[in-house]
Amino acid sequence: MTVLASVSLATFLVAGLAATQFRSQPLPPSNRVARDEALRKSVNQLEDQNRLLKTRVQTLQADVKAGEDESARRSSAAQEVKAQLDEQKTFAGQTALHGPGLTVLLHDGTDPNSPVDHSLGWTVHYQDLQDIVNVLWASGAEAIAVNGQRIVPSTAFHYAGVNILVNNASRLSGPYTLIALGDPPALANGVGNPDQLAELKSRNRIYGLGLSWLRSTRLSVASYDATFLVKFAQPLS
Amino acid sequence: MPSRSVEFTSRSQRLIIFSLIAIGLGFLIVVQLRSEAAVARTLAAQDDTSVALLINDLNRANNQLMQQSAALAEQQTQLHQALTSGGADSQAISKELTTLREVNGTVAVHGPGLEIRIQGPVMDFELQDAFNNLRNAGAEAISLNGYRIVASTPVVSRGDSLMVAGHALGTTLDILVIGDAEQLGPAADLSASSLQTRVQVSIQRQNDLSITAVVTPHPLIYAQLGK
Repeated sequence: MTVLASVSLATFLVAGLAATQFRSQPLPPSNRVARDEALRKSVNQLEDQNRLLKTRVQTLQADVKAGEDESARRSSAAQEVKAQLDEQKTFAGQTALHGPGLTVLLHDGTDPNSPVDHSLGWTVHYQDLQDIVNVLWASGAEAIAVNGQRIVPSTAFHYAGVNILVNNASRLSGPYTLIALGDPPALANGVGNPDQLAELKSRNRIYGLGLSWLRSTRLSVASYDATFLVKFAQPLS
Repeated sequence: MPSRSVEFTSRSQRLIIFSLIAIGLGFLIVVQLRSEAAVARTLAAQDDTSVALLINDLNRANNQLMQQSAALAEQQTQLHQALTSGGADSQAISKELTTLREVNGTVAVHGPGLEIRIQGPVMDFELQDAFNNLRNAGAEAISLNGYRIVASTPVVSRGDSLMVAGHALGTTLDILVIGDAEQLGPAADLSASSLQTRVQVSIQRQNDLSITAVVTPHPLIYAQLGK
């Protein structure tokens, strides 16, 4: 009897699992799956290459900096230019910084699954990041980073399909953490001002889209992980 | 003795049955969990268009990074040669300084690009979108009504007024942008298409336009060097 009961129970479990297994088979099992895999593989390879290239750029930057430092030690003319260069590097985001500031946290809300609401207002869009960054600059931010990516003069947020990209195709995904260095009360007042980010705050109420901020006495932002190329603009003499 | 043998055989059979069932269950549980994860990945997977666009952007970015590497390698060689010969190459440093001044908007520049005129009221986010699109298309310098625009230039609406870096603007906006006109054109068209239902937008290519406005970076008060 015990064996029979065990076998029955096991058979029931096996049948249940087999049924669930059948239901959870990805559909359709055609070459579309292979095509998707190939595309994803391409993305992975290109992202690996992207990381390697950034590492190469950073290594070269370090070598160039060492050469510049040595030049500055040897020549007063080079020293003078080097001092100006360091200042411009700081303004361009090529230097890591730390100090007091504000951390803004942003994440997707809840999909209302409503047949009448197809707005995707519950998700974070790149324009939301752009708006917050703009408000932070307007509130006196001295440096900003989004998910570790430093906002520099050439930074542009954009979509590649559903992906939010920034700085040499660095993919951003939620939750989003924006760090701004500056006067914490001024930055918090800027973000908290009801006239600012009104649409985002409204989506926070409607869809539960996460928007919060926190003052800190010590935050840090990394330096930009690449460099700048200027091909068309020439200085006016 | 025979009864012990029968009992032993019976226990062995039960053991084998249970072992087989356990193996079967274990296999199915593993397959089940793995296939559920696969389904989740499939659901989370992006459509082909998104992936294709991402591949396009990654290719573009990687090309840029390769060009940056080549430029840095050249700079490194130049500095190294000067140091090896016992001197110092301040020209290589000056070249980088000029590039950064252009990037930071602290020097007047000229070059090919676009002249965009917007006539009519626009909102701050529309202008931010336009600048963002232009930067994404490789804009190297931008000015608006004589004010230099850099990434940290705030654009805000105050009531009906549009303020850029603390200056109120009228309803005619003249944007000058330097860069590759081939790349900038479609970006400007994209912004124009969303504005043209309400305001007049004209876009003209220029072989050489000048942006004389510069920004004076604010000295750092709160931020300090280092991690």
